[in-house]
Amino acid sequence: MYIIGENIHIISEKVKEALTNRDREFFMDLAVKQVEAGAKAVDINLGPRKKDFAEVWPWIIETIETVVDVPLSIDTTNVEGMEAALKTIKKAQPILNSTSAEQERLEKIPLLAKKYGAKVIALTMRSEGIPVEADARVTIAVEALIPRMMEIDLPMENLIIDPLVLTVSGCQQYCPHLIETVRTLQYAWDPAPNISVGLSNVSNAVPNENRPLINRVYLAMLMGVGLQMMIANPFDKEQNDVIRWIETKDTSKPLAKVYNKIAERIAAGEEPQLEDFDLKDADQSAIWKTTQILLNKVIYADSYLLN
Amino acid sequence: MPIEIPKDKWTGSIRAVTIGATSAEGGTRAKSITVGGQTSMPYLHYEAPMPNKPVIAIEIKSRKPDDWSPLLADAWGEAMADPAQWAKKAEEAGADLIVVALTLADSPEDAVRVIKSVLSGTGLPLIVWGPGQAEKDNELLVPISEATKGEKIVLGICEDKNYRTIVATAMANGHLVQARTPMDVNLSKQLNILISDMGMSKDRILMDPTTGALGYGIEYGYSVMERLRLAALQGDAMTQLPMIVTPGFEAWKTKESKVGEGVPEGWGDWKARAINWETLTAIALVESGADVVVLRHPESVKRVKSAIEELVAV
Repeated sequence: MYIIGENIHIISEKVKEALTNRDREFFMDLAVKQVEAGAKAVDINLGPRKKDFAEVWPWIIETIETVVDVPLSIDTTNVEGMEAALKTIKKAQPILNSTSAEQERLEKIPLLAKKYGAKVIALTMRSEGIPVEADARVTIAVEALIPRMMEIDLPMENLIIDPLVLTVSGCQQYCPHLIETVRTLQYAWDPAPNISVGLSNVSNAVPNENRPLINRVYLAMLMGVGLQMMIANPFDKEQNDVIRWIETKDTSKPLAKVYNKIAERIAAGEEPQLEDFDLKDADQSAIWKTTQILLNKVIYADSYLLN
Repeated sequence: MPIEIPKDKWTGSIRAVTIGATSAEGGTRAKSITVGGQTSMPYLHYEAPMPNKPVIAIEIKSRKPDDWSPLLADAWGEAMADPAQWAKKAEEAGADLIVVALTLADSPEDAVRVIKSVLSGTGLPLIVWGPGQAEKDNELLVPISEATKGEKIVLGICEDKNYRTIVATAMANGHLVQARTPMDVNLSKQLNILISDMGMSKDRILMDPTTGALGYGIEYGYSVMERLRLAALQGDAMTQLPMIVTPGFEAWKTKESKVGEGVPEGWGDWKARAINWETLTAIALVESGADVVVLRHPESVKRVKSAIEELVAV
């Protein structure tokens, strides 16, 4: 699993404060720790920075490249900010996060990727919004995103399609569709496009205590359909366990077996079955219930584990 | 050519919930009312018989309301000033249940007296609503619950901000509760989980998914109810509860029902329009699976009743 570490994000109070103080140590430390925890790239989201992008982006890039050699993911809606970052990057091939099929963004951002030799994450979203249906998302990739890259001769390996994970709390019907989108996208083009997702979006607006479980179960399902890249928290030890169990087909522990079984079922186009779980085990029972809400079989509620 | 109608076979069913207790059952009601029990989507008689038909509750107030339409005042007349009389007239108008809505002006003693007088004025089972402010609801509903132990009254309205006290007193005194959430399937299920997690039997909860009047969001209410019912039939235990909705309250706050003057002439006769509004709102909700509809005008009651008879006729 290629993890783009998500922890340098302006939504975090600590990041916000460190940025205000231009605290180099903080960012260097957070970047190094993510890479040590297994992140293959580091995402940087400091908000739109409409006023100070020309100063902030070179500063943060220089700071982080002092200590790590991995690709940096420039996560901003501000196109000028993206370019300011791209000009500063000296080490690995950067990732632009992101464009969508909205006309203006699709016009400009791939051109930036081309000019600076960057990869670009492209969301399966048009200006009308995000379609629910798996087919409609694949259509956006095939009819808008991929053709645009071909039009400007951006190598296909530099395109990363993000089919948009949405939260089970309020957009539950999207969750199974996203799984099918990831499955289908790999056959949408030859060579198969890279696919990445923002995993933890699946548990947005979910009470904190349930978020890691929902993320892990969804991850097992997505690995079942071949997901190999995601923006995620590399420090989540239990999530890393799930990745390792599924990647190495390690079924030595009961939980490892259960997560592997979920991935297998989804891979085969099946649904996890009651018989796959030992419901007397509280962890497995919680995982079973989580599969049911993620597949939109049972209506989500904040206290779904009590159901 | 013979056409075979495809039939769904569901694994889940709606719980049958009984409101009110006769003397044999520990209360004083002339009869009890059972709702729910369905094993298919509404009125698909070729899939499964409908074990209990939808029922109509008429809403009355603990004291004469000053903000109700004059059309309603015309219909109920002097009885509006006396809850026991009002309940009696409502029973004569065809109600299956009586909703007594308390007001902020009621003291706990007033409230208990009103409920006792209504219990003696009618033999129908009751639903009692607090005035809708958490503290006041609890202050009034707890003494009522205790004074009417065993009557199997539906106490309400439980919402996510205030349900614990109402549920606790309902459990202690053998009553039921009405659980209301803003039109959202996730929130609806969540409140049912929280209430049953307190130990309340799921045979004693009516869920109120909230709705809008015709022209004012009824389609959202309709689809939430439909989604809840589909989930229930698919086996989701926390949605397998009968549904209560309040089309009377919703319809009588729309401009079309409330206002008799200064509206386009094409809107036609005020009274006819207002009653149509309440009736059509209620029937749409009955068709989406409502088990209890709470109405206000006796003429609407008559019409909705006749629509229900047609729907349940096999």
